[in-house]
Formats: sequence, C-alpha cells, structure tokens
Amino acid sequence: MKKTALIIDDNQNNLLLEKDLLEVAGFTVFVAENASQGILLAIQERPDIIIMDMRLPDMRGSEAAKILLANEQTNQIPVVFVTASVLAEGIEEIKAIPNAVFIGKPINTRTFAKDVGHFIR
Amino acid sequence: MDCQPRKAYLLSRPSLGEGSTPKTKSVTSSQEYSESIINTIREPLIALDQDLRVVSVSRSFYEVFKVKPEQTVGQLIYDLGNKQWDIPQLRELLETILPEQATFDNYEVEHDFATIGRRIMLLNARQIQRVHGKERIILLAIEDITERREIETGLEKAHDELEALATELKRTARAKSEFLANMSHELRTPLNSINGFSEVLFDETFGPLNEKQRKYVSNVLASGKHLLALINQILDMAKVESGKMKLQLSTISTRGILDEVAMLVADLAGKKQIEMTLEIAHDLPDIEADELKVREIIYNLLSNAVKFTPVAGRIGLRAVESSGQIEVSVWDSGVGIATENMERIFEGFFRVDTPYSRLTEGTGLGLPLARKLVELHGGHLAIESKGLDQGTLVKFQLPISVSQEA
Repeated sequence: MKKTALIIDDNQNNLLLEKDLLEVAGFTVFVAENASQGILLAIQERPDIIIMDMRLPDMRGSEAAKILLANEQTNQIPVVFVTASVLAEGIEEIKAIPNAVFIGKPINTRTFAKDVGHFIR
Repeated sequence: MDCQPRKAYLLSRPSLGEGSTPKTKSVTSSQEYSESIINTIREPLIALDQDLRVVSVSRSFYEVFKVKPEQTVGQLIYDLGNKQWDIPQLRELLETILPEQATFDNYEVEHDFATIGRRIMLLNARQIQRVHGKERIILLAIEDITERREIETGLEKAHDELEALATELKRTARAKSEFLANMSHELRTPLNSINGFSEVLFDETFGPLNEKQRKYVSNVLASGKHLLALINQILDMAKVESGKMKLQLSTISTRGILDEVAMLVADLAGKKQIEMTLEIAHDLPDIEADELKVREIIYNLLSNAVKFTPVAGRIGLRAVESSGQIEVSVWDSGVGIATENMERIFEGFFRVDTPYSRLTEGTGLGLPLARKLVELHGGHLAIESKGLDQGTLVKFQLPISVSQEA
C-alpha cells in the first residue's frame, strides 16, 4: 500500500517542493496551509506521517502537535518538524513533544523523502 | 567645603592669645596682626562690627567684587557697591541666625551682582567677642563656588547623558540582533526555495535538461549556495559581535578534526594540482572547544590557502602543542598579502583585487570570522606574509581548556 503524508506549511514553495519530493518517492501527499486545517485533515485521512513547519499562521507547530497527541485518532502519527531554528531552545521545544523529530532547513532534496520514510514505524 | 571651619579657626587665633600676642598687648598691635592674617587669605573676608558696618576687608574682597576701599570701610554691609549686597539671605544669616548660633558654616547664597553677575557663594561666619570692650565683631568669609558648581552640574549632566547613551546603545544592539535574526529568516526562506527547486531541476527528477539548461541551473544553484553562505556568515559575525554566539563545549579530538577537514580540502587542492603537507603532532592533545566552530575555523583557513595559491603551488597544515595550548599554522606559497592590506583583510568583505579574487568564489568573511571564533575560545589568531606573491602564514592558538567565561 502507498504511504501517505500530510504537509502543513503556509509557505507555498516549501509545500510544493516537499510534496513533489515525497510524490516522486511514492507517497500520497495531503497539504494544509494552517494548523487548524491540518488537524482536521489529519483526523480525516490518518496519514502515516505529518511534516510540519514550526511557525504557522494560526498557532505554533508545537501547539498543533499537542492537539494531535490529545486526539486518539491522531496520537500515533509521528510528526516531523522542518525548522531552521536548530538553536538549543528550538530543539528543546521539539524534544518535549513525544512522537516528534526535526529536519533542519534547508532540506536536502536528495535525502528528504528517505529521511521522512525512516520516521514512519 | 570642610576647609571653611579651618579658616575661621585661624582667624580666631588672636583671641586665643597665642604666641607673640599676649592679651596685655595694645589693641593696635592685635589689629595689625589680624589684618595681616585677613590679607593673607586668598578668599574674600569681611570683618563687621556689631552694627554690621565694615571694619576691614581682605585684599581679595576688593579684587573679587570689584569695589574700592573708600566705598567699603565704614559702610553698612547691605549698602556696599551701590546696595548690591542687600541680599535677603544675607540679612537672614546676619540678623537672625548668627545672633543665636555665633558661628555659621557653608551657608549657600546665590545672588546677581550688578558688577560681576550671578554668583553662588558659600558663607562662613563667626561672631567674636573683642579682647577689649564688650562689642562683638563678625567675621564673614566668602567662597565663590560659582565655577565649581558649574563643573559639578556639568559633570552630573554629562553623567546623565552617558547613562542615557548607554541605555540607547543597549537598545540599539538588541534591535540590531533582532533585525538580523528576522532578516536572516526572511532572506533564507525564499533562498531555500531557489536552491531547493534548482537542485531538483539539476537532478533531472522530472525529466532531462539539455546542456545549456543544465549549465544555467547549475549556475543558479552555485550562486544560491554562495548567497546562503554569505547570509549565514553575516549572521554569525553579528552573533559574535553582539555576544550572542554561544559555544557548545565538549572535549574534541583535535587530531581527528584536523585530518577530516584536511581530507575535505584535499579535494579542492587536487583540482588545482596543489600539494598539501600535513604535520600534525602525534601527541597533540584533545581540547575543550566547540567542535563545529573549530571545524569552521580550520576549513576557512585551509580553503583560503587553496583559493589564494596558484595552480601547482603548495599549502600546508602544522599543529603542535605549545605551553598549555595547541598551535595550528596554515601556510601557502600563494599570492601573499601586501603590508598595507594586513589589517584590512580582517574588516570583512575586503578582498584584495588580484587575478585570483575574480576567479575565486568567496565571501571575504572567512578570515575575520575565523579570528572571531578563535578569540571566542580565548585563543589568538595572527597572519604573516612577507608581501605580495610571498605566500601567507596564518597561525592560531586555542587553549586546551577554555576558561569558563560567559
């Protein structure tokens, strides 16, 4: 069966690039441009993995991840944060969330899909 | 200010009957004695009788207040110099306070004199019983503190201004850091898209490109990566300068890191048939440092050596332990540095215009950033060159253990 991924990012270019890379690697990809939309889509589609930006227009990515964790339909889905702020505090914020990992920005287009695949159990 | 009472003490000596002026001597002799004392004193002094008429004044009184003896002696103090001395505060001092207390120190009076303008004075007064007779005399010493007060006020003002300036500087530095952090995010986001899409195109993920297209996309990608390196280095410089660059210290294998970075650069050197010599001491100790920063320092220096050395030249890396530090030297047989450019190369964005500078891609920030990173570790970086085309030697020391400083 095809693997499914949900990308939540308000930057259209990031969304398109990540979607293309995952589709080429054989994923079925859903996209959302804000956290609320993304959470609804996650409940509806139950993707294998969620790729999310930390800075979203309606809330921080970490808050969205907590909402997903609190919902039993989505609490098993791993979350990958794509973030430039690989500073100590940013890492702590992600480490505090169970089920979450991060990929540093800029993404490596040659390894992105493979890296994302590794995080699916 | 505490010198005032001392002066009053001196003046009262005759009445204490000290030395050559026993109480039995004539009034005249005692008066001469006191007048000579009065005239010795630099500051204006007035002796008044109990009706507040001037008995005598010191020489300096005439000089400071620009009055003549004939207009002074025998006059009521308030009438002096065309009633210039009719000062309400002085009346209070002489008529109310002095009769009750007999002495008065450092009484501040501000008054606008017709002849000499606005002055601030400190008045010290003593009421003294004459040796003979029952009348009293009043000694009034006047210290003009107008200038001192102006200096004090000026100092206070300068201090306040400095404080305001320091606050403003801190605010500006914070604003600058915030601006740079935001700017770097805003610049990197679109740049990451440019680089990401060009990379996918270059890899022909969605279909083949012709030769021209491949070449152009490759140029877009190279320029994009160069721009990203620039932005990252500018941000690093700004972080170091604003004290926000924090070192992630751990014990690092110095030998291992030098070998690894040299391997990376060997590839670049090979393309220009440059011979690289490595002399890393076998007993080179591990050091406490930020591994990524140390790699960056060495990479910047070695890649500079390759960039500024012509084809078939030589470069080298030498590392030894030296009195509690490790000393790393990166040398090359390249273009060297003219003496007049020796300091400018640390300014940032300064690239000497040589045939190589046009050929080599660089930010001009590699060396200044390397020096800042070395200094952040408590080390020192220096550069030597005998001149143009004489090669370059960059030498830096890093302490084996970084002293804990914020």
